[in-house]
Amino acid sequence: MVNFTVDEIRNMMDKKKNIRNMSVIAHVDHGKSTLTDSLVSKAGIIAGAKAGETRFTDTRKDEQERCITIKSTAISMFFELEDKDLVFITNPEQREKENKGFLINLIDSPGHVDFSSEVTAALRVTDGALVVVDCVSGVCVQTETVLRQAIAERIKPILFMNKMDRALLELQLEAEELYQTFQRIVENVNVIIATYNDDGGPMGEVRVDPSKGSVGFGSGLHGWAFTLKQFAEMYSEKFKIDVVKLMNRLWGENFFNGKTKKWAKQKEADNKRSFCMYILDPIYKIFDSIMNYKKDDYEALLPKLGITLKHEDKDKDGKQLLKVVMRTWLPAGEALLQMIAIHLPSPVTAQKYRMEMLYEGPHDDEAAMGIKNCDPNAPLMMYISKMVPTSDKGRFYAFGRVFSGKVATGMKARIMGPNYTPGKKEDLYEKAIQRTILMMGRYVEAIEDVPSGNICGLVGVDQFLVKTGTITTFKDAHNLKVMKFSVSPVVRVAVEPKNPADLPKLVEGLKRLAKSDPMVQCIIEESGEHIIAGAGELHLEICLKDLEDDHACIPIKKSDPVVSYRETVSEESDQMCLSKSPNKHNRLFMKAQPMPDGLAEDIDDGNVNPRDDFKSRARYLGEKYEYDVTEARKIWCFGPDGTGPNLLMDCTKGVQYLNEIKDSVVAGFQWATKEGVLSEENLRGVRFNIYDVTLHADAIHRGGGQIIPTTRRCLYACLLTAQPRLMEPVYQCEIQCPEVAVGGIYGVLNRRRGHVFEEMQVAGTPMFVVKAYLPVNESFGFTADLRSNTGGQAFPAVRVRPLASPAR
Amino acid sequence: MFKNILAVARNPYVGHTSSSNSQTGKPNPTNLNVFEMTRFSTNEAVSLEKTVETAVDLVETSQTDLENVYEIGKCAEWIKKNNYKKVCLQFPDYLLPDSTEVALKLQEILGQTLYILGDTAYESCCIDYIAASHINADAIIHFGAVCFSITSANIPHMNIYEKGSLNVVDLKKSFDTFEGNKSDIILLVDTPYICHLDTIKEVFSVHKNVVVSRIDESVNNNQKITVFLGDNDRKLMNLSLSMGCRNLYYYKPKVDNKMIVKYEMESKIIKRRYFLMEKIKDSNTVGIVVGTLAVKNYLKVIERIKRLLNMCGKKYYLISVGKPTVAKLANFPEVDLYVIITCAMNEIYESRDYYKPIVTPYDVEVALNVNSKNLNFTYDYNSFINDSDLDSLEVNLEEDVSLLSGNVRRNKTDDEKMEDSEHNLISLRAEGTVAHSDHGAGFLASRSWRGLEQNLGGTDAKLAEEGRKGIAQGYSNEKM
Repeated sequence: MVNFTVDEIRNMMDKKKNIRNMSVIAHVDHGKSTLTDSLVSKAGIIAGAKAGETRFTDTRKDEQERCITIKSTAISMFFELEDKDLVFITNPEQREKENKGFLINLIDSPGHVDFSSEVTAALRVTDGALVVVDCVSGVCVQTETVLRQAIAERIKPILFMNKMDRALLELQLEAEELYQTFQRIVENVNVIIATYNDDGGPMGEVRVDPSKGSVGFGSGLHGWAFTLKQFAEMYSEKFKIDVVKLMNRLWGENFFNGKTKKWAKQKEADNKRSFCMYILDPIYKIFDSIMNYKKDDYEALLPKLGITLKHEDKDKDGKQLLKVVMRTWLPAGEALLQMIAIHLPSPVTAQKYRMEMLYEGPHDDEAAMGIKNCDPNAPLMMYISKMVPTSDKGRFYAFGRVFSGKVATGMKARIMGPNYTPGKKEDLYEKAIQRTILMMGRYVEAIEDVPSGNICGLVGVDQFLVKTGTITTFKDAHNLKVMKFSVSPVVRVAVEPKNPADLPKLVEGLKRLAKSDPMVQCIIEESGEHIIAGAGELHLEICLKDLEDDHACIPIKKSDPVVSYRETVSEESDQMCLSKSPNKHNRLFMKAQPMPDGLAEDIDDGNVNPRDDFKSRARYLGEKYEYDVTEARKIWCFGPDGTGPNLLMDCTKGVQYLNEIKDSVVAGFQWATKEGVLSEENLRGVRFNIYDVTLHADAIHRGGGQIIPTTRRCLYACLLTAQPRLMEPVYQCEIQCPEVAVGGIYGVLNRRRGHVFEEMQVAGTPMFVVKAYLPVNESFGFTADLRSNTGGQAFPAVRVRPLASPAR
Repeated sequence: MFKNILAVARNPYVGHTSSSNSQTGKPNPTNLNVFEMTRFSTNEAVSLEKTVETAVDLVETSQTDLENVYEIGKCAEWIKKNNYKKVCLQFPDYLLPDSTEVALKLQEILGQTLYILGDTAYESCCIDYIAASHINADAIIHFGAVCFSITSANIPHMNIYEKGSLNVVDLKKSFDTFEGNKSDIILLVDTPYICHLDTIKEVFSVHKNVVVSRIDESVNNNQKITVFLGDNDRKLMNLSLSMGCRNLYYYKPKVDNKMIVKYEMESKIIKRRYFLMEKIKDSNTVGIVVGTLAVKNYLKVIERIKRLLNMCGKKYYLISVGKPTVAKLANFPEVDLYVIITCAMNEIYESRDYYKPIVTPYDVEVALNVNSKNLNFTYDYNSFINDSDLDSLEVNLEEDVSLLSGNVRRNKTDDEKMEDSEHNLISLRAEGTVAHSDHGAGFLASRSWRGLEQNLGGTDAKLAEEGRKGIAQGYSNEKM
């Protein structure tokens, strides 16, 4: 490390207003990691010349080889803002007085949809997000997904248009065309933001605006970037206009007439859009002169722009020279770090409005106030968002964010897993924290303690948490909310060791794998098969590779991927179903019926959940789903596991002893919803109604033994008389291709039971976008199939559709 | 004619052996159309007229065959020779129709009273010492299928096997086409076919490489191909488990294809162990169900399981409910799983109708005892417990991830330490009693219904109404 030491960072950590915690999010291949490199190069960890080639944050060998980010990686950086830029920070909570240095904790996240759980984990511990969009392909499915997630977590976004070099060199776009492209992307992003954020909400207005400087442009690969601020500063002296005013002039419908020296709001014959004239023209000129080897031209141009080349760079030409010139003129790190420091919130600002989204407990207890004020002297509240493998096999660093208080080496803390409920001791441990560490890309540095508002790693808590958890010193603290993922583990493979004697190693490996990834599920099924469930094919492939190479270290046999299904019903039971207990003294009368559309999702999302107040829940169900409110008040339980998307409703009238058998009926319901009647899969979207019950007057003859199996049998009867169906998970995919390839896409989709629901041309390009639903089960090898059928012209992007539709 | 027969049987003709699958199992969707919808609420006429279901059809042997099938002569001779005064005849339920005839015939020969044991408390394949000791019997003659479990008590007993029909010519034919018929072969004859032993031996006398042996004789069968002659799959499996031999073949006389087939171990059963072991590690409360009183060391194995569970900080209940059924075991909702101590022939382990999983003592041993990770699966607990090693039990108390729930599995013994430091987690009730918040009473506290609520003044007084009439199976007001 050249620029700073651990001690310096530790000092910075106390200046909480000068901290920026941010993640870099984008669609796959839009250049996040490359862009991050230019930031890291600015912060001085790797040499400037190698920026754009190293992918500093891709720490794993396979990440480097595949050029795809798999795990999110954190780095801390230090950056000093100049006085002239400090004035842009108006909010007193955004910087400490007399302090120019900023500590930036950056997390580079993967872009592939299969790894979006990593994005979720990264967003949780950060307050701002740098959204990277490839200006050639525009806003894509995954851009939307991650942006939506960010807004939902109350993460403030800033935008960066990447790959301008491609737009200029490959697509050869005209200046006005390029402006239109930028304009469209900004609009698209703002539409998404507006859809998911309420401007009047606690976060305020979060839309991005180039004229405010919250949108950057440039090329991560070539290492240059700018915001309107950079250009406004260059011109402000010449025009004698204030920088802020000029920034407004440089974007949007502002035209300048070179002859009359007048600004206009409309395009006229002899005026030109200011953005094109003052920003794009100089860039185009440099590109043109250097790429066409017009040495005289650029040698004349460079001093004008104030670019002086180093001696050794003067001999370069073509692309190499272009890179050097652009990097010298518009260094990416500078522009980006300014954007980050000026526009992203400090923990002090962010935790004010994030507390209510983060904390499960009452919003006025000690922990809540500590978080709200980002108070280092309050009790410790820290969220562990993921586990990072150490070089020591089987052990992990617990990685997370300190929201309140201080976490220190050796201190005793309460470690609370996601199932902890205050007052109980389930999922609760009191242990000492062995070590506190700073995590920076490939390096780890020990640090004495870490105050609120910062991101760090812990050693020695990994065996008490599976994936995530809360660490606190406050005895009455509630959990910090569990993260909600946008994908779910729907693709599964069964694994077994090649050598049966290795089974214990496999089991041990599975447990480690379960920790190392926020999304993966490792389970043993009732049949005894060892299952790994992941978000997609690629995710599974990586997990299996990790399992084989790092966690279990044994050769493994795997089955073909399969998806998990759900059972449901399509109609109401066509008759009343009666079941008698083994002693014939008890009778249950029930029916099943499908839930209205959307209710199952509402339950999944927690909008309707077992812990709600039953009255308000009944009102909600009555208003939204037209459920009878008196019936809806008598929801006995959710299932499976007490929380699933199936309901058991008591529709009886005046039945004696009914409460006595409730526990037994609920137990039978949990059993039946876990193992459905068709294929022993979970049920989904089924409502069971109990209409009548006959019970033996003597309690001993209506015990669990009589009621539990009887309930299960009765529920099965209800299912079978209500047109039972299987449901399968479905991807929504968006495929970009030229018009000629559209036919090929339809062919591939048809063969794979997919169906197209939208097809449209991307404005301003010859590209078409085809949107379709594709069963996950048919998606294996889809990308390769698509490429071969369209001559490599189609690029699919998928996301899991929240709905699973009935399978044929 | 019954006057001098004391039947020490609780409920002679009620077919408790019915495996009750048809009642508790889920309706099979594929049969839906065949049974139509009547299946979901059975017409009680059907129930009332229905004869009791039994797993095996009742057997009624004709007078002429009786002597032969039950080997009455042999029995009489055995009793006479040993001069037993009180002898019990133990019949499995399906042979009960013949029991009186057999007893009468024997009494005629011996001139002494004999006792019939029916409705065996646990498995009819095991010798029922407990029932026999009610009358201080000197000896037991056991009829029907037998499991050869090593027995706990030592009352003299004799087994009279069932008699199966066997076409020796077919057996010989299939042997001639059997590819391995040149190597050393041992032919193990299962109990129903032991009556044909002489014929088989005669037919195979031409083959010098074949040794014909009874299943109840111990044979040294190293390096040989074993051919099992019998129909019982479980016996076959136990055989392959106990011998660990790869060259196990079988010939099933009741199956039509008449072939000697290689036995492939059902990997399903072995695989399911992984699930069950994980379940055991996850469980808080375990029910130990006494499923035998006859098999040797049953008390020892219970003691061992108790010790293991204690060491892991798990709570257990020792449950003795006679023959376990779905309804009986569903009465303990706080129990996470049941360990059933029974003989190796019991088929309860494979049933999926039970509310909570059912495991073998082997599963508990391997799941919890660190020192026995390398045991091979067996239904027979006698094959792994030996008398002295109760002290060598060792458990792993480290925190671990459960592969069933995906949660951290906490170390239960650690909890108690935490409780000591934080007294608020334990609540003192009356003097000397302590409420434990996790198992047992803690579970009851989590139930929604905890007992009768008086609700004084809340319920209106009502006049008595006429209730239902008839019997529980179908009241008179119920149509259908």
